[in-house]
Amino acid sequence: MSSPSSEGEVLDSNPTNVHLHNSGVVYNGRIRHQSEKVRSRDFEFDFEMEDNNDFPELKESLIDKRRNSHSLIEQDNNSPLLNLPTEVLLQIFHHLERKDLFSLLTVCREFSELIVEILWFRPNMQSDTSFKLIKNIMKADPSTTHWNYRLFIKRLNLSFMTKLVDDDLLTLFIGCPKLERLTLVNCTKLSHIPITKVLTNCERLQSIDLTGVIDIHDDIINSLALNCKRLQGLYAPGCGSVSESSIINLLKSCPMLKRVKFNNSEKITDESILTMYKNCKSLVEIDLHNCPNVTDLYLREIFLDLSQLREFRISNAAGITDKLLELLPNEFFLEKLRIIDITGCNAITDKLVEKLVLCAPRLRNVVLSKCMQITDASLRALSQLGRSLHYIHLGHCALITDFGVASLVRSCHRIQYIDLACCSQLTDWTLIELSNLPKLRRIGLVKCGLITDNGILELVRRRGEQDCLERVHLSYCTNLTVTPIYLLLKNCPKLTHLSLTGIAAFLRREITQFCRDPPPDFNEYQKSLFCVFSGNGVNQLRNHLNRIMEDRSYWIEQNENMTMPGFIPERRGGMNRNININQTLGIGVGNLNNNDLSDNIINDDINDERQGQNQNNDNEEEMNLWARQRGLGILQGNNGNNLNYPDMADINRQIFRELNEGDITANEMRDNFQRLVRSHHQQRLIEQSLQAANQGADGVDFNNFPNQLRFDNNQDNNTAGTGVSNAPHIVQPAVFPNSETTIPLINEGEDEDIEMESADLFPRNNRG
Amino acid sequence: MSSPKVILTSSDGEKFPTDPKVAEKSILIKNMIVDLSPDGLEEDFEIPVPNVRATVLQKVLDWCEHHKNTIFPEDEDEDTKKTTPVDEWDRNFLKVDQEMLYEIISAANYLNIKPLLDAGCKTVAEMIRNKSPEELRKIFNIVNDFTPEEEAAIRRENEWAEDR
Repeated sequence: MSSPSSEGEVLDSNPTNVHLHNSGVVYNGRIRHQSEKVRSRDFEFDFEMEDNNDFPELKESLIDKRRNSHSLIEQDNNSPLLNLPTEVLLQIFHHLERKDLFSLLTVCREFSELIVEILWFRPNMQSDTSFKLIKNIMKADPSTTHWNYRLFIKRLNLSFMTKLVDDDLLTLFIGCPKLERLTLVNCTKLSHIPITKVLTNCERLQSIDLTGVIDIHDDIINSLALNCKRLQGLYAPGCGSVSESSIINLLKSCPMLKRVKFNNSEKITDESILTMYKNCKSLVEIDLHNCPNVTDLYLREIFLDLSQLREFRISNAAGITDKLLELLPNEFFLEKLRIIDITGCNAITDKLVEKLVLCAPRLRNVVLSKCMQITDASLRALSQLGRSLHYIHLGHCALITDFGVASLVRSCHRIQYIDLACCSQLTDWTLIELSNLPKLRRIGLVKCGLITDNGILELVRRRGEQDCLERVHLSYCTNLTVTPIYLLLKNCPKLTHLSLTGIAAFLRREITQFCRDPPPDFNEYQKSLFCVFSGNGVNQLRNHLNRIMEDRSYWIEQNENMTMPGFIPERRGGMNRNININQTLGIGVGNLNNNDLSDNIINDDINDERQGQNQNNDNEEEMNLWARQRGLGILQGNNGNNLNYPDMADINRQIFRELNEGDITANEMRDNFQRLVRSHHQQRLIEQSLQAANQGADGVDFNNFPNQLRFDNNQDNNTAGTGVSNAPHIVQPAVFPNSETTIPLINEGEDEDIEMESADLFPRNNRG
Repeated sequence: MSSPKVILTSSDGEKFPTDPKVAEKSILIKNMIVDLSPDGLEEDFEIPVPNVRATVLQKVLDWCEHHKNTIFPEDEDEDTKKTTPVDEWDRNFLKVDQEMLYEIISAANYLNIKPLLDAGCKTVAEMIRNKSPEELRKIFNIVNDFTPEEEAAIRRENEWAEDR
């Protein structure tokens, strides 16, 4: 599940920290890492950071407290330590772990009065044990405990143990008058009743995060309006059943609001926006994701009025048009705006984007996914953002082409995140452009059907070793085969996510054994296509491919009289044996219009950030060398190709070579490339349909099979009994042979052919 | 040696003529100088430091002298600050008795010398780490003013904080 947002985010305590909360298809975890300040990568550290943010606030109140109580506490202590000023003592405590504070707590009264406030400022509800211990203390009658601990709690975050959080638990926290931040992210079991009660008398509440809370009711919103006049942050994405009158009531009562998130509500209309415009002059973040009844009528005024706005999101609202920024002058007006997301607002055109770039030159995150009218003109406009742009989502902007991507990428070289899913006109050229982004961490190319192995190989080759890529989404790029993916894994040690759903070349047990479980709501067909690796699965896949490559290199060195590591014996017969696959798998998936599936894949971003540690480094250098010479050498060399269309591969190679040698200009090259790729694509479609017509016939012609599937039922014997249950149960051929059985068989007739065929990771001279 | 000096006077009346570059390690002094003679010192400039003893002031000035060319990252991230270990020289410099240590810390606090204050606080934190309450009382000479019942109750009610 998505990592719970650290509390306090709603608040602007760290104004340089931009963050996106999970709104629909948006990417919770990722974005938070793209803050201006370089933050640590792991969420664990975020909690540490929070402690630091707390420090100044605690300091003031405790200095006051100690000053006032000093006269009350009898000074029979002569410890020079106790004579240090409070702020110095606090700074010392600041360097200590919680358990050390616990030791200090019972040293003497003077310390205990300070430390109890530090400890309970934010009770630790992150681990099972402490959760239960705190729960027990809260159950006790406050008059029987040494302190009434509720008086100390200022931050309450229950999103770490959401399974344990129910109405009874939250009820225990009723009566915390100093509560400032309440974080209930993903506390799905909660009803509105205890939430409403907890808010009673919380006049100091500054932020509340109800992301993932299901029962967001009018009562909660009205209670906020009644009690929490100082509210600055409200995240209530699931507010679909809240009436507009309650929301208007809240907006009128809480003029200090800085960050508001109302998502998935049909009840919110321009009336709310008008109230927002009139009453909330401090807004820095407005999130109206999936509020279809909001139009740009008053948003126009808001944009004119709120030059401090930092984040703005709306989606699926037909009433958002090019007029959104109409009132703004053509100058740097929204200088603070860093994030804009107008997903699925289909009325907008390039005109809005052009205006946007003029007004908001410091945009960092731009999400235009499913804005179907967007063309390359928008990308050219966005290129003016230059180094400001870090995050760009253009999924389903099907009109954009390689040209647009090229102009964008060449100007905005700090892009870390790019999503081009379903931009079906993009070709390998886009990958070449992307290879020039030094900070790229995430690539989304789901359903970019024209992408081929050559593109990936070239991307990998150009980006080089120790690449910083972390997440790569290639699902439904149906032309891909194993070779480039192996090299991608090899060169990207930080890769934590790789999606290859619906690509026939990977839908075999040997590979899918490392893939994650498909989401439970998938049907069988969707499950059978699912192929996503994350966390340790990526490492396992990498290790597996490494191992096979090692075996192969060993075999080649031992058994063949070769001087070149690049040589592989030519393929021979035996290819048509045991063909047993539903061919529609390879061909049909390209036509899948399966948004659920791809959305789920995109949501994977939220999940599982952990990176495994068990990378197998055996013989790494040797293998690197070996792989480089073979796989990556292919593109630059003249011999060999791994396409089924030799002519196309020749063309590609020629272009790449010319590119490298600088023989032709970039523009010529691009024209050339695009033209060729288009005709190639058409040719392939024809062949695919021919092939589909032959479906079921014995003896598929492998030279025409676009995914280079190879079939071998023996594979069942090789991988059976590994006990992996999450892989789709399709009859699948082995990509790689089981090495222990292959080595002795290598020179023995037909077996060799089978093994060689299936092990042919880096085909070179073949059937050309 | 005609360049003007800052003359710091300790609580016990001792005068310390100091190179302005060294004295300005103290933000308090630096601001004073900037406020009073924005174009730089033209003549000696006397600043009383009424709450710091001469021996302590000497130590503090030793530190400033040693670090006069050190550039401390400004506006450091709280996190980095917290995790950076105490500089080796500082660590040895602060190997003094507790009384002196606290006086140096107090002086650094008063004079606004953040890196020194920070090193001092870390040093004290180091002394506190991984100790039982009884050990802490002994180390810091603190009298336990809780009844055994109170102490037990507080421990019980805050047991969660012991959990990692």
